[in-house]
Amino acid sequence: MNSPFRIIGKSFPRLDARGKVSGKAIYGTDFAMQGMLHGKLVHSPIASGEIISVDTSRAMAMPGVYEVVTAKDIPAQRYGSFVKDMEVFASGRVNFIGQPVAAVVARTAEEAEAAAKAVKVEYREQAAVFTTEDAVKADAPLVHPDWQEYKAVPTVKRQGNITNQARLVLGDVDKALKESYRVFTHRFVTNVVHPGYTEPRAAIAHWADGSQLHVWSNTQLPFEAQATLAEIFKITPSQVRVNVTVIGGGFGGKLRLGVEHYAAAAALKAGRPVKFVSSCEEEMTSALPRQPLTIDLTTGVTKDGKILAKAASILVDTGATSGSGVGVASSVMLMLAGPYKIPNLRLESRSVYTNKTPTGSFRAPAGPQGNFAVESQMDIIADALGIDPLEFRLRNIVREGDLAPNGQKLESVSLEECLLKAADAIGWKDRRPEPGRGKGIACAWWTTTSGSSGVYVKVGPDGQVFLNTGCAEIGTAALTGAAQVLAEALGIELGSIQIVSGDTASTPFDFGAQGSRTAFAVGNACIDAVGKLHQRMKEIAAKQFSAKAEEIEIDGGAAKFGDKLLPLKEIAAIAQTSQGGLIAHGTFIAPPTLHDKERTENMVITAINSPSFHAHAVDLSVDAETGEVKIHDYVVVQDVGRAINPTYIEGQIEGGVVQGIGQALSEEIVYENGIVRNAGLTDYKMPTAMDAPNIRSFIVESPSKVGPYGAKGVGEPPVIHPPATIANAIASAVSARVQTLPITAEKIVRTLTEVSETAK
Amino acid sequence: MKLEFLAPQTLQDAVTMAKARGDAARFIAGGTDLVIQARKSGTWPEAVINLQQIPDLGEIKGSGQNFSLGSLVTHRQIEREGRFAGALEALRESACVIGGHQVRNVATVGGNLCNASPAADMVPILLCLNAEVALAGSEGRRVVPLASFIEGPRKTKRAHDEVMTEIAFSAPAQKFASAFLKGGRRRAMEISIVAMAGVVSVSRDGKLTDVRLAMGAAGPKAIRLTEVEKFLEGKALSKDVLEETGRLAAAAASPIDDVRASASFRRHLAGVYARRVVELSWNRISEVGNDRSAA
Ligand SMILES: Cc1cc2nc3c(=O)[nH]c(=O)nc-3n(C[C@H](O)[C@H](O)[C@H](O)COP(=O)(O)OP(=O)(O)OC[C@H]3O[C@@H](n4cnc5c(N)ncnc54)[C@H](O)[C@@H]3O)c2cc1C
Repeated sequence: MNSPFRIIGKSFPRLDARGKVSGKAIYGTDFAMQGMLHGKLVHSPIASGEIISVDTSRAMAMPGVYEVVTAKDIPAQRYGSFVKDMEVFASGRVNFIGQPVAAVVARTAEEAEAAAKAVKVEYREQAAVFTTEDAVKADAPLVHPDWQEYKAVPTVKRQGNITNQARLVLGDVDKALKESYRVFTHRFVTNVVHPGYTEPRAAIAHWADGSQLHVWSNTQLPFEAQATLAEIFKITPSQVRVNVTVIGGGFGGKLRLGVEHYAAAAALKAGRPVKFVSSCEEEMTSALPRQPLTIDLTTGVTKDGKILAKAASILVDTGATSGSGVGVASSVMLMLAGPYKIPNLRLESRSVYTNKTPTGSFRAPAGPQGNFAVESQMDIIADALGIDPLEFRLRNIVREGDLAPNGQKLESVSLEECLLKAADAIGWKDRRPEPGRGKGIACAWWTTTSGSSGVYVKVGPDGQVFLNTGCAEIGTAALTGAAQVLAEALGIELGSIQIVSGDTASTPFDFGAQGSRTAFAVGNACIDAVGKLHQRMKEIAAKQFSAKAEEIEIDGGAAKFGDKLLPLKEIAAIAQTSQGGLIAHGTFIAPPTLHDKERTENMVITAINSPSFHAHAVDLSVDAETGEVKIHDYVVVQDVGRAINPTYIEGQIEGGVVQGIGQALSEEIVYENGIVRNAGLTDYKMPTAMDAPNIRSFIVESPSKVGPYGAKGVGEPPVIHPPATIANAIASAVSARVQTLPITAEKIVRTLTEVSETAK
Repeated sequence: MKLEFLAPQTLQDAVTMAKARGDAARFIAGGTDLVIQARKSGTWPEAVINLQQIPDLGEIKGSGQNFSLGSLVTHRQIEREGRFAGALEALRESACVIGGHQVRNVATVGGNLCNASPAADMVPILLCLNAEVALAGSEGRRVVPLASFIEGPRKTKRAHDEVMTEIAFSAPAQKFASAFLKGGRRRAMEISIVAMAGVVSVSRDGKLTDVRLAMGAAGPKAIRLTEVEKFLEGKALSKDVLEETGRLAAAAASPIDDVRASASFRRHLAGVYARRVVELSWNRISEVGNDRSAA
């Protein structure tokens, strides 16, 4: 097939490849400054209690120590996304084990670590609460006794440990359940998983003149870091400059402040640059893992397998701060309803504090949790009705023009194609090819996060083009994707583009590398910039050819008048001598997704923007005696709208699947009375290369109206389906339906034993 | 933190250095246990004595029946040792599932035994082979059976200044085969939740004989399953025999509950793996080319 594109759709190597492969790229952990000191945190050993005193004298006397920093050294200020319930250092009380109480600044990281152990903190321990079920009880100890004093966005409805109570309601669920042929109710429970980026969170901060804060860090969101640091230190955003280093992966775990604020507080007191790098143990005990959810899901169906109603009660365990868990509690309802046509819905969710690690926005927040529940239950129902699970899905999925649960009209719906292709690729017809072997399927939709993007596109006199963006490259190659959009639209080669990114002082604002939006939004801003550049090119060429701008055509990378051509680099050279160079400010903001506000109550996320559709299928064997799962084949069919760079889309798919397999089978941060029992990579079990199966990716292109050249968000979806897909295949292979994640060998064996005992 | 790094060129020097520094010094081979433990606990020895430059400790010697592993032999070497292909396959199977490639390239068999983790993967098969370890210290040289060398979790008979020099074993005289299986959540970088090694021979009349089974990670130290071995002696393999094997092995386990697995699951796996190891080695007998008894 002949592609109408020169650059789009081709698997060019990423623009940052050389630096990364040669080891020259400077990551956050590599970054160093002259005179730099090192900081280490002092963590709370108790889950809940008041701080009586902090004695720093012994630590201060230790070798190499410069300063010990506590809450007293910085303004009293709480911050947070939806509810301002976070503080840099615990001031009055602590509410999870691992919470930073102080920081030690020393000549070396080792000296700082040794001295951190010598900081003596006295606590008065208080009752703590570790599960959401306990936390919502009327007499539960409050994780934040002063919650009423915290500022919050007006949408949220709070009460005690509950940080929001939201609902999605449509039709008459009670009536529909009464009229249903059968009603199914199940509980699904998901696990706490770490984003698993290879590079820990790192930052170096320096204050110039005591008032200008300069931070280098591996953050995904330099502009949010800037805003939050300004809020914390009570200065204006322009007093804060954030530079993004090369980043060793983010997966949402580096959206919020990681260690920037500790570095800034420490540097302020020490009067020298200070570097913080979180340790592996800190990553496991006090980073921002995925929220665990408890989902009670009820579905009513007709005899011929039409879903009549869904009701759900959802508890989101956000840990000691609400963070993005409030958002998860909203978006999980969109996941639980979909991607099916359901006339009656009553979904209710609560985000809840517990005395555990604060959670965050790990890749596709709410996606895997919601999908595990809805797609596991789809299979259970299909089996009970005697309908093939694929067929049951096909009878209920959304199609072009249908309304989503929030009432938004769905466009470019490719779900049926995705499901059929996945089923075909995995050999669905032979679903149980031999004893102990089975296949599973699951499908979903996902959003492309909105938010605005700005780029400067600057053309040099040699024809080299700088793509200057406030968005960070977090390892996905999404900025290479944006550059491909730019190259295509401007009519130049990809190799002519250099990317300058992630500096709050010199790059334009961008909502940042999050929510599958980077190539989508930055790409669109590039297209906008190209429109403006073309106009400038015409004006300059018109002058040159003594013509009118309207008479000039753009042909490839040149301006054309009749048979006369003026190449881009010559235009740029003319622009340099006559008008300060050739540069354009391109911007983009996604149009709002219209939906029915009557259906949503207190939801902070209400729409699925430029939805993408996808299906996964797996073929696996289960050793019924040992519970061991062996994946033979894993298939992903994903609608990306337009494949800008197929190789990096496959990269996102394969990485997402392996990450999802971790959540499905092996990963879990295990708590016992608020203590993490596996705070290291020995016992927090991410899949190794030996555990990664053969993954086959099939790309579907059903263009969106909004994305550049029709693209939809790509990065998050692949992590959504593996838990449900694998759970369904295991149930099909050995009749063990495990409803809590991860599905360990032990759980499979236990379930099989229970099944065989009830059969007796 | 100050850490003295000593690199003796001879065994004698290593012993002398260790004796002079007492508890403040530790031997280091691959460092894959020592360094991890020091970092985790935050307590480093004052000195480490590197054994890597002492000659002759890094070789696998022997042929036919009698073999010795130098204490510095890496898991990588064992995994790739041609002499262990066939009847002694379980040695290769044990080595090749330790950690990942990077770990196996540096981690040593001596370190695995001296560290004496209940989950040390080389221990079960070496117990089956009745291995003996040679120790050289300021009091001279001695040889101790592996079974009594390891006393409990991280406890051995080794005196502070004793260097383990080699691990020697004799393969059974008659035709035999071996197998090793381990359970864990991943296929690499996995600490065994149960490990099982077995060596079996078959008598001329087709009965099991000289059966040796050892189990790791299911108690304070790896042990030989003597009850199971006694039960299997002289038996022909059958479904019932295998089932009883599993039952006895599970009964012999004294596992703990921890974050990796519950005690009851470990016990269950002990039964399954005992059964499978016996069956697998039995099936391998016909494939291995070490039929000396027939000669
Ligand atoms: C990521 C990772 C994965 C691992 N996976 C496994 C696994 O799957 N299975 C497994 O069994 N182990 C595993 N281990 C543990 C470790 O790799 C092994 O136990 C290894 O064999 C230890 O050998 P070493 O040479 O590194 O020992 P070292 O760390 O150098 O030494 C261990 C101990 O033995 C002492 N010592 C070492 N050699 C001698 C000697 N010759 N004489 C006297 N004392 C000595 C040292 O003083 C120290 O106390 C893993 C370790 C890591 C880091």
